[in-house]
Amino acid sequence: MNRRTLFFAAMLSAAACLFAPAGVRADEKPRSGGELIFPVPSEPPSYDAHREQTFGVIHPVAPHYNGLLRFDPTDPTGTKPVADLAESWTVSEDGLTYTFKLRQGVKFHDGNEMTSKDVKASYDKIIFPPAGVVSDRKGQYAVVKAVEAPDPYTVVFQLKWPAVSFLASLASPWNFIYRADILAKDPHWYETHINGTGPFIFVEHVKGSHWVGKKNPNYWDKGKPYLDGYRALFIKSSSAQVAAIRGERAHIQFRGFSPAERDTLKAALGDKITVAESPWDCLLLVAPNHTKKPFDDKRVRRALTLALDRYAGSKALSKIAIVKEVAGVQVPGTPYATPPEELEKLAGYGKDINAARAEAKKLLKEAGVEDLSFTFSNRGVPMPYEPVAVWLIDQWRQIGVNVKQQVVEAAAYYATLKKGDFEVAMDFQCGYTVEPDLDLYKFTSRSKNPSNYGFYEDKVLDDLYEKQSKAKSVEERKKFVRQFEKRLLDEEAHYLMTLQWHRIIPHSSKVRGWQVTPSHYLNQMLDTVWLADGPTQ
Amino acid sequence: MLRFVIHRFLLMIPTLVGVAVIIFLLLRVIPGDVVEAKFMSGEGSGVSAEVLQAERARLGLDKPVWEQFAIWFWGVLKFDFGISMWTGGPISEEIELRFALSLQVALMATIVATLLALPLGIIAALKQDTWVDYAVRIFSIAGLAMPSFWLGILMILGFLIIFEWLPPMIYTPFWVDPWQNMLQLIWPALAVGYRYSAVATRMTRSSMLEVLREDYIRTARAKGLWLKLILVRHALKNAMLPVVTVIGLEFAFLLGGLVVTEQVFNLNGLGLLFVQAISRRDYTLTQALVLLVAAAFIFVNFAMDVMYAWLDPRIRYR
Repeated sequence: MNRRTLFFAAMLSAAACLFAPAGVRADEKPRSGGELIFPVPSEPPSYDAHREQTFGVIHPVAPHYNGLLRFDPTDPTGTKPVADLAESWTVSEDGLTYTFKLRQGVKFHDGNEMTSKDVKASYDKIIFPPAGVVSDRKGQYAVVKAVEAPDPYTVVFQLKWPAVSFLASLASPWNFIYRADILAKDPHWYETHINGTGPFIFVEHVKGSHWVGKKNPNYWDKGKPYLDGYRALFIKSSSAQVAAIRGERAHIQFRGFSPAERDTLKAALGDKITVAESPWDCLLLVAPNHTKKPFDDKRVRRALTLALDRYAGSKALSKIAIVKEVAGVQVPGTPYATPPEELEKLAGYGKDINAARAEAKKLLKEAGVEDLSFTFSNRGVPMPYEPVAVWLIDQWRQIGVNVKQQVVEAAAYYATLKKGDFEVAMDFQCGYTVEPDLDLYKFTSRSKNPSNYGFYEDKVLDDLYEKQSKAKSVEERKKFVRQFEKRLLDEEAHYLMTLQWHRIIPHSSKVRGWQVTPSHYLNQMLDTVWLADGPTQ
Repeated sequence: MLRFVIHRFLLMIPTLVGVAVIIFLLLRVIPGDVVEAKFMSGEGSGVSAEVLQAERARLGLDKPVWEQFAIWFWGVLKFDFGISMWTGGPISEEIELRFALSLQVALMATIVATLLALPLGIIAALKQDTWVDYAVRIFSIAGLAMPSFWLGILMILGFLIIFEWLPPMIYTPFWVDPWQNMLQLIWPALAVGYRYSAVATRMTRSSMLEVLREDYIRTARAKGLWLKLILVRHALKNAMLPVVTVIGLEFAFLLGGLVVTEQVFNLNGLGLLFVQAISRRDYTLTQALVLLVAAAFIFVNFAMDVMYAWLDPRIRYR
């Protein structure tokens, strides 16, 4: 075995560990029955996923609904769209027409049959919302010209340009299919009511306390769901969530725990606990405000990224915080992620930290700010903002930069960023699936994208974004994603990546059929989940 | 007495109006609003400024402040507190269940505190400077020094480590299943009641010591009255004035002030709702909660005033 083979073998085994399927045993036959109990650290503001942003909607509400497509619940990368209410689909040669054939005989929980007019009405609400209706992700469907329902079991999407990410957009976990008749009468009805086609029927929501769903006996996917029902407990305190699992009052918490909480549960419950881990499609970013001097100078921004020893940081921080992987603009192990050996060529990603810091000092000297000092605005959220900020400040101190941290209350934080009232700030991005269109949009010019808190304009970057989005093949798209990444993180250093979040799900070993992915928004329909009799590890 | 009661009752109204005005204005001073908190939290892709403005208009936040106040206050006069700006649900629904839980915990903690504080305080006063007094004082100082949420954490850990058991996670009303209800609420009531009793024990002890040195107690003892009778009929009733004040104010505080203890025991109470409402800039819910807690304090004060008159007939109100 030569060195290259050994390297690939090591990479494969590392990837296997990163995405180790949790609770999935290919040789086991799913068992029906039981109630899955899980804490949810947030609560749905309304029940309408088309308008909301928080996973607090997805976790308790998603089991009541289906989408047109979904992400393959067995895929650890959470990036492969598969059929849900659609049975099959075709794409026209020019890539502008997507035609979906729907499953027949699918019933809403109120007994009405689901047809193409329901799919059309749901997507019209998402893409072309009527006045007064909020659609949070409307911008992601700018490519859609029209949604048509030529017959009861066919839906057609006409696009303005070919979009390689379109199927992934349709598999979004937010795109619940609602009943057209109800939306026609009151587009706000779904904010306070539930009526889907999903595997579980709504039973009750006791505000601040819990949410209950029971098995849909008429579910179109025969034999599923396996569970008799589920109960989501709204528990904000992480220590109370840990206690719930440790006291076996709950089976799993789907968002994630800290390393210390994982270790506590494992030490207390041993084999009764299975730990599923994955890189997490969430990231803390450092946004240097380009409208404030000297952060308009790319030498200064490059110096700040060169000062970071991400590899040592990963080792230290992953023991105490929910961050781990060193990554570029895509989650490691997913289709468009930059391989580690290529990533190392970017500024701040090299393995020789002394050389990088020497270069950083040189750049600061050239920029005339050898004794640079600034205020770093951080969000008042302990995990992982606090440890990551402490790490950053220490790293910058090692190139002679003196940084004062200013912690802003969580609720007022984005108002501060929006106003641009900061020098350098911690920013955040979290995606529902790993998809370059979603992940890279944040870094396009401020004039295009109000959530760019670097306040910069970069036409080259905007152009690369368009090119990757409209690329005709995966390989071509990869090329543009790499170029985008190099310009963003290396040449211009508009934003600084810290470390990829790391998702840790310690759960009861009884929980089977659930796959951890890089997104805490995915795999929440619970149709494939079942409970084994007892611990089997 | 009736005139006094009516007078005190009517005085509650301007106090509540004052609270309503102050909280309404204070909330508008805090940076950000509910629309920003909901749609600019950073987890989503961002919503356009036009949509945010439309949402503000839907919630009535685009109107001048005086007009918002007038609409809200007119609703309050009709006991209609409106809808939560965060969930869109009626405020009454949001508060109803949490209020029942918080009220029960407050009542149970008060019972625990009273059952501990009165006998311990009296015994400590009667046995002043003996080992009994020292033991009671150590017990009460420990209660004062130990935050109730910390005691709660110790209880939870104790249950988990020693008994491998945890109290129920979901609130069951007492009238639905008294056993489940008690299994969940007795522990926070004990944790909170212990700290609460510590304050009341020390107050009872010092008040009793003061009363036991009064001339009328000496006279009663000189006449050869039975000690138990002296204590119950003459000393205790007079020593109760400051104790009633402490117990009453603590009770009102418990209704909305158990934020951390509620989190430790995962109680769906008013304290946590309060914090969430403020951090989400849910103006209507925060206003309703502040009014509710203010009303509880005012009502408890009113009840205490009435009780003073009953406990000590020397108190005359005009």
